[in-house]
Amino acid sequence: MKENKMKKDEFLVALEDILQREESCNENDKLEDYDEWDSLSKMAVMAYYDKNFKIKIGLNQLGALKTVSDLIKLAGENIND
Amino acid sequence: MEGKKNMYGSETRKGDVMVLSKFEHVKITGISTVVPPKEINIYDEAQYYDNNIKKIDRMRKMVGFWKRRIVDEDVTASDLAIQAAERLIQQMDIDKNSIDALIFVVQRSDHSAPANSFYIHNKLGLPAKCIAFDIRQGCPGWIYGLWVSSALIESGSCKKVLLLAADTPSVGIDLGDRVSAPVFGDAGCATLIDYSDKIVNSYYNITVDSSGYEAIITPASGFRLPYKKQHANCKVDINKDLYTPIKTKSGRLTTLSSVFMDGLAVFNFTINHVPKNINELFDNFKLKKEDITHFMCHQANKQIVQAVSNAIQFPLEKTPTHTFENYGNSSIVSIPVSINDNLKENIINGGDELCLCSGFGNGLACASAVLHLKDCYLSGVCDYKKPADHPTREEIINYWKHKIAESE
Repeated sequence: MKENKMKKDEFLVALEDILQREESCNENDKLEDYDEWDSLSKMAVMAYYDKNFKIKIGLNQLGALKTVSDLIKLAGENIND
Repeated sequence: MEGKKNMYGSETRKGDVMVLSKFEHVKITGISTVVPPKEINIYDEAQYYDNNIKKIDRMRKMVGFWKRRIVDEDVTASDLAIQAAERLIQQMDIDKNSIDALIFVVQRSDHSAPANSFYIHNKLGLPAKCIAFDIRQGCPGWIYGLWVSSALIESGSCKKVLLLAADTPSVGIDLGDRVSAPVFGDAGCATLIDYSDKIVNSYYNITVDSSGYEAIITPASGFRLPYKKQHANCKVDINKDLYTPIKTKSGRLTTLSSVFMDGLAVFNFTINHVPKNINELFDNFKLKKEDITHFMCHQANKQIVQAVSNAIQFPLEKTPTHTFENYGNSSIVSIPVSINDNLKENIINGGDELCLCSGFGNGLACASAVLHLKDCYLSGVCDYKKPADHPTREEIINYWKHKIAESE
């Protein structure tokens, strides 16, 4: 999905909007430290990846996500440095 | 897959996971919907969110939590359905003797037996030749009901079917349950389905993923888990085992007799299974999405509706979501509520509505249809008015005590 490739910084800003988080997101942040990392946010992440990256996140994959970095890795080539 | 005519002359294909059907002589001629007048606004429930309005704003933006309609405790699904039916019969000037079948789609019926449709049949004063039966289905139930009605008509068994659907999902949900309480609203609807001499095509795809049977369920709500201590071999302490609160990982308290919903599993089913179901419908019958005027998606919540619409690459501007925000997720009835909420003016003005409808939910099941609604009578979304002679629970108990005491 070449047209949907985004830079890491752009993704971190997008992630604030996906999670509806007022503070900034950083690559090494632990998701469990975010108050906003609830079922609504998890569904929003699933929907965002489906729409923008054509990636369907399975429930096991979702449960294995620990950090923002894991989210970036999951997007694969869709997110550049 | 090549289509073939079934025994009714309709094109039906069956596989492991789907039933694809096309009907040619079935027309939806009227849809009436009612909602209870009692409105709950989530901003009036701030105490459940530490009085933090920002938390509510976030939920409003992400999933559309806002307003919902709920019944008084003494109003049941059949009450809502009966009023929707009475209004439709009156407003469309329908001869009751012309109705061949009454179908009631319901999950929370008045009694476990007999079928609730018999009570409604009696209340509406329908003739003995009008058959009556219930269909027990969740959120895809209105589409299931249309599909069964269409099969009855296309087969020649019936010419006019009165399809009722109603649900009161708010009943039994504790207001402190912030997973379920803000989601669900109550509603009832009546739909008139007629035989048409002229060709009117409608298309259906119904699919099931029964591996998700436990994703939306009330564990202690029937005969599998005892609801009476007197049940044979029942050794459980009802109050202790069925009603003692269970604490979830997030600290929420619930019980075995409350609705359990695995939200992530349901969402996963929705964004994977539902688009596939819809795309199969379009591919098999060579339909074009650009011909569809509106996508009337089950109003599960705003996030889910938008995710499904995006997944099938359908324009969001033709996919209404504000019905969820104004009325909540009314389960079986959310699609007809959304049709009445969004399409009434357009149809009155002669609009040729070709709607894609898709309902999905417990089962897990999905039912999608492409329907012509040109010239269909729409009531709008009307407030339910409790009749003056509506019995209280106490009156009903006294009635039955007396009736049983007077029997042999």
